[in-house]
Amino acid sequence: MQADSSDLIQRAQQGDQAAFEQLYRAHVGRVYALCLRLTADAVRAEELTQDAFVRAWERLASFRGESAFSSWLYRLTVNVVFLGQRAGQRRALRVFTTEDPAAFERPGDAVSTVAGQLDLERAIAALPPGAREVFVLHDVEGYRHHEIARLNGIAVGTSKAQLFRARRLLREALSK
Amino acid sequence: MMCNEWETQLNEYVDGTLAAEARALVEAHLAGCAGCREAVVELRALVAGAADLPKRIEPAQDLWTGVANRIGKRETGSGKRWWRGALAAAATLVIGFAVYRLLPPSAAHHRPAGEGWVTLQAEYEQATDELTSVLAAERDRLAPATVALLQRNLAVIDAAIRESRDALARDPENVELRGLVASAAREKVELLRWATRVAT
Repeated sequence: MQADSSDLIQRAQQGDQAAFEQLYRAHVGRVYALCLRLTADAVRAEELTQDAFVRAWERLASFRGESAFSSWLYRLTVNVVFLGQRAGQRRALRVFTTEDPAAFERPGDAVSTVAGQLDLERAIAALPPGAREVFVLHDVEGYRHHEIARLNGIAVGTSKAQLFRARRLLREALSK
Repeated sequence: MMCNEWETQLNEYVDGTLAAEARALVEAHLAGCAGCREAVVELRALVAGAADLPKRIEPAQDLWTGVANRIGKRETGSGKRWWRGALAAAATLVIGFAVYRLLPPSAAHHRPAGEGWVTLQAEYEQATDELTSVLAAERDRLAPATVALLQRNLAVIDAAIRESRDALARDPENVELRGLVASAAREKVELLRWATRVAT
């Protein structure tokens, strides 16, 4: 992918905002999807997406290319979301409800695919926060339990317990 | 209907994380339990469905302008921000330690120690242990100067915890000493949390 080229990253690291904008364009969909699924709050997800890219800009110098830029960015995004969640506990919550599934709609998707996936998206959005976060990171994003534990500041056993709880609640919700 | 007591093993079975012996036990159970077989089918469908969800969702509006406005006012990460954070944490610790040292013994109030205090201590120990192990695994991501500063600050706060615990041992009903121990513990957890956040 052109936007992942080392040239773009190097230019952005040197302060080139145009290069950083190309990186933003290439990754914003993935970053926003992650924020939206972790928070189940479309407005908050937009704020956190912006926070993630601002933080990425600030931390670009620390990116040494040991992993793919995308992996570095998504991991940073998860950190931003979890930090935001903790700070957000002190203020009023804007809860994304399953009555607003449009947030997950994607123009151009086949109708049959969208129907099943929207049911799943809505059920994920309705999960309790702890279970939702682990489910999204493990089953949607493919993180391992030890990574989730490290990112979320929880024990591996807690991560597993939250995942199994999430799956139980999702099976119940989807079988109705 | 899944057998409740098999929930963990069935999930691990679906994830492929069971050792051979445990997997054989699950398969033996599945051979005789229709409810758990059905649950495994559902779990596999759920896991596959989650993995197939689109990885990209475009936001309803272009967020770049907001990002551009904010980064236009800031420098790229050059280490200066790390140092500002480190120095702020150091300042907090030094101030906290100084306040502790300045508090007169006569400020003590006496209340009986309860289970809440024991629980708080256990939670602190657990949080500290978890964060310390995370930091140990990730510390090579920090600049050597940051690690050195972190270690100095941890030493300061550990000394504060030791001193306040010793004082508390001599006066176990003193609620203010308990407050000092708790405060120092909170500072340590916050510092470790900050360090793991920077490192990860």
